[in-house]
Amino acid sequence: MKRSVLIYQSIALITLAVAFILFWSFSKGTPFVESGLTFDETAADSYSVLQENLYRMVPILLGSIFFSIAIAFYLEEWLAETSWIYGIIAQQITILASIPSLLYGLLGLYFFVLQSEKGSFFTHALTFVLLVMPITIQSTQKAIRGVDISVREAAFALGANRWRVVVDHVFPNAFPTIVAGICTAISRVLAITALIIIVYIWKEHTLQSGDTFNIPSSVIVLLSFALLSSVISSFLEKKTNLT
Amino acid sequence: MQNKIEISNLKVRYGDIQALNGISFDVHENEILGIIGPAQSGKTTLLKVINRTLEFTQDTTLEGSVKLDGVEINSIGDVHGLRRRIGMVLPLPVGLPLSIYDNVAFAPRTAGLRNKAKLDEIVERCLQQAALWDEVKDRLDSLGTKLSGGQQQRLTIARALSHQPEILCLDEFSIAVDPITTMRIEDVLKTLKNEMTILLVTNLVQQAKRLANRTAFMLNGDLIEIDETDVIFSDNPSSQSTYDYVNGNFG
Repeated sequence: MKRSVLIYQSIALITLAVAFILFWSFSKGTPFVESGLTFDETAADSYSVLQENLYRMVPILLGSIFFSIAIAFYLEEWLAETSWIYGIIAQQITILASIPSLLYGLLGLYFFVLQSEKGSFFTHALTFVLLVMPITIQSTQKAIRGVDISVREAAFALGANRWRVVVDHVFPNAFPTIVAGICTAISRVLAITALIIIVYIWKEHTLQSGDTFNIPSSVIVLLSFALLSSVISSFLEKKTNLT
Repeated sequence: MQNKIEISNLKVRYGDIQALNGISFDVHENEILGIIGPAQSGKTTLLKVINRTLEFTQDTTLEGSVKLDGVEINSIGDVHGLRRRIGMVLPLPVGLPLSIYDNVAFAPRTAGLRNKAKLDEIVERCLQQAALWDEVKDRLDSLGTKLSGGQQQRLTIARALSHQPEILCLDEFSIAVDPITTMRIEDVLKTLKNEMTILLVTNLVQQAKRLANRTAFMLNGDLIEIDETDVIFSDNPSSQSTYDYVNGNFG
């Protein structure tokens, strides 16, 4: 089956799921969240949950992705592979990327749930960055290495400097693969977030008996991000189909 | 005749593999020098040394001297400026991820040209020289990589001409181009040699015979012979292996 068909089917399924949950939720006519599945207790309904988490996630996500791509390009294009700095940084990134996301989840859980009642922006950001950056850097490095040497040679032969070669030729060629890597990183975050939410619910349930729990509000946040990720991936794939 | 390029005792090694074994020859200004020889004879390596793109190949050692207009090329600080003086066409087309117009306008823009009218004129002239203008003049904004293989190769030729190089290096330029278009480009090359020096690496010995003023025969990293094309393709070249190669007895 063609890849684009699969992507469209995934988007359609996720859209249906989100639409169903929204319809079901609003048709009940009750506040969507009764227990604080968001880390902010002031957010009382699904829209607020979504908004709150978007405000929190998007800047961190964009920032960490931007820095990851910049670091990968610096490592691959400007830092010689034989230099000792390259060796040290590449080794650390490999170690961080190979740590199971469960461990990051436990780390996040420790800071989010056990250490702090509400969690702080800093702990959110740190866990997020630790999860996203190594895998994004690695996938971007692979994407850069995947650009044929002949493209670089052709651009250099026209008198372009390295900056122009990277911006005009290497980046556009590597872009679809970079986006795919970013989507993988986001999926990783979503998976571990789901785990944290389940543990959080369990903790709330055991410690504050009598509370009611409403999972859909959190699911909708995750599904929204998954939908967003698929849409962006599909859009960029179409826009950047250069070959 | 004035020398444009002077190569002296040039040796190139990729790791343990010797690609060029100390070759020496001169390239005259405004001539077409045909370079023929079987695979692995060092022809492409020679071109990469001249425009200094060999630097991107790891574990390479280079000895000897290559002078452009009397200046040692490895001592030239502005390597990007050096490369703008040399147009390079590789055997297989390399489509840059840009529109057809931007592919051709890329090098002039890199050199600082911003005048739209001037860029338009360069794009049209180069595409006409590469025998591509008629086929793409109505879709200059479409991606260069969407063209067919032969068209992409002609786009590569147009790109190499766009910065008005002093030297044009053509490495098997006609592999992906049909015979009729090849003949049209060959006619353009005959005209272009009045403006620039052309190094024509080719496996088609008849192409060298048709175009080149002089021809060099290379074999296993050695320069076997360089002489007037008529001499190389005569019954009495200096080397028996040259005679055998151009007559299809080996290679």
